[in-house]
Amino acid sequence: MDICFADSTVRFGDRIALHPLTLTLRERRIGIIGLNGSGKTTFARLINGLVKPTSGSVTVNGLDTVTDDKAVLGQAGFIFQNPQNQLILPIVSEDIALGLKGRGLSKAEIEARTQAVLLRFGIGHLGSRRVHELSGGELQLAALASVLVTAPDILIMDEPTNQLDIRNRALVGRTIDGLDEHVIVISHDLDLIADFDRVLLFHEGRLCGDGPPAKMVELYREIAA
Amino acid sequence: MKTLYVDGNTALHRLSPRVKLAGLMLASILLFLTRSPLALGTALALAIYLYAMLPLGFKVSLHRLRPVLWTIAVVALFSFLVQSAEEATVALLRLSVLMLLAASVTATTTVSAFIEVATEAARPLERMGLVNAADIGLAIGLVIRFVPDITGHYQSVRDAHLARGIKLRPLTVVVPLIILTLKSADEVAGAIDARGIRNQKA
Ligand SMILES: Nc1ncnc2c1ncn2[C@@H]1O[C@H](COP(=O)(O)OP(=O)(O)O)[C@@H](O)[C@H]1O
Ligand SMILES: [Mg+2]
Repeated sequence: MDICFADSTVRFGDRIALHPLTLTLRERRIGIIGLNGSGKTTFARLINGLVKPTSGSVTVNGLDTVTDDKAVLGQAGFIFQNPQNQLILPIVSEDIALGLKGRGLSKAEIEARTQAVLLRFGIGHLGSRRVHELSGGELQLAALASVLVTAPDILIMDEPTNQLDIRNRALVGRTIDGLDEHVIVISHDLDLIADFDRVLLFHEGRLCGDGPPAKMVELYREIAA
Repeated sequence: MKTLYVDGNTALHRLSPRVKLAGLMLASILLFLTRSPLALGTALALAIYLYAMLPLGFKVSLHRLRPVLWTIAVVALFSFLVQSAEEATVALLRLSVLMLLAASVTATTTVSAFIEVATEAARPLERMGLVNAADIGLAIGLVIRFVPDITGHYQSVRDAHLARGIKLRPLTVVVPLIILTLKSADEVAGAIDARGIRNQKA
């Protein structure tokens, strides 16, 4: 994995959401922390091209998020803050299969891959369930399955444990630990990123810290105080 | 996100979605070709039977129809006032049959089956270079997906009114309802992009 930001900025109207940023990401587990409105989501959305840089460029494994946007989406999966709206169709297996349609796969193949990804996350029994009946933890796992079924190289998660109880936090945490993909996780749950390889700290639209988790969390507490 | 689909193994569940939708289309044409109260009455009896056979339970069955029933009542009342009692009866019967048939089809067909059928149906238009068939299918599937969502949003808006002792007024209900619905539509659109669902042209 190789994500490069070259002097990238993001503006919404005359408001600067992200100040110029030059940075390369290669680590397998990267955490993003910062106060509300500090630019974390904007930064994460730059990576898969859902937000385009107002100036400068962002490339993912050599692909430009502006000119190769579709290829970039294939490389970087994204789990939104609200997994309820991440799942597009109302039945879990139906939703997962949707991501595989139109790729020239046979019906049997689509079904097999859907089942395999459900089993991978230990939620084989949830395939025929309604999305609205799932608990918070199950919803996160279903969202994970729906994104990882298309085998992206990088997984970006926006506050995945935000609305979860302690048990489900631990479950999602363990699941993230077990992933082979590169993961970039935005989190207010500082335990979740405590053993990550690298942590980025954002403040008021600027990257103001970049280093090991313990150090960044300490800096974050200073800023927040 | 709730779903209109209900699990079961009735004859309607087993019938191919293509046949169900074609049948629904045909039925709606036939309904508007006749004005005979006897024919329409018979059709209504059959439609009630069909709908009642679904494993929905009495309460849910009625609950699902309620919003449409109101619309039908308004239309019938209107034609009674400006046209005639006969006109009103015909409208009432036709629309009720249509509502029951459509409700039976949506209760026994999954959203992905809808998407598939709509995509196939749009293929000829695609060959003419007019549309992307997969997009048409997805759009129709999403309409069906959002119906129960909108009902759910309505319930939360209503609860918010009740909790704060505010009277339900069209303006204070419709505006937040539209905002909530657009907001979730926006997020779903984001997910469709992020998951690359429209990337692959079949
Ligand atoms: N689509 C948008 N339009 C306008 N302003 C936005 C948009 N998205 C984010 N912002 C603004 O950009 C800033 C950073 O937001 P965001 O990246 O969502 O922060 P975080 O995820 O850290 O809470 C905020 O001030 C927010 O209001
Ligand atoms: Mg955010």
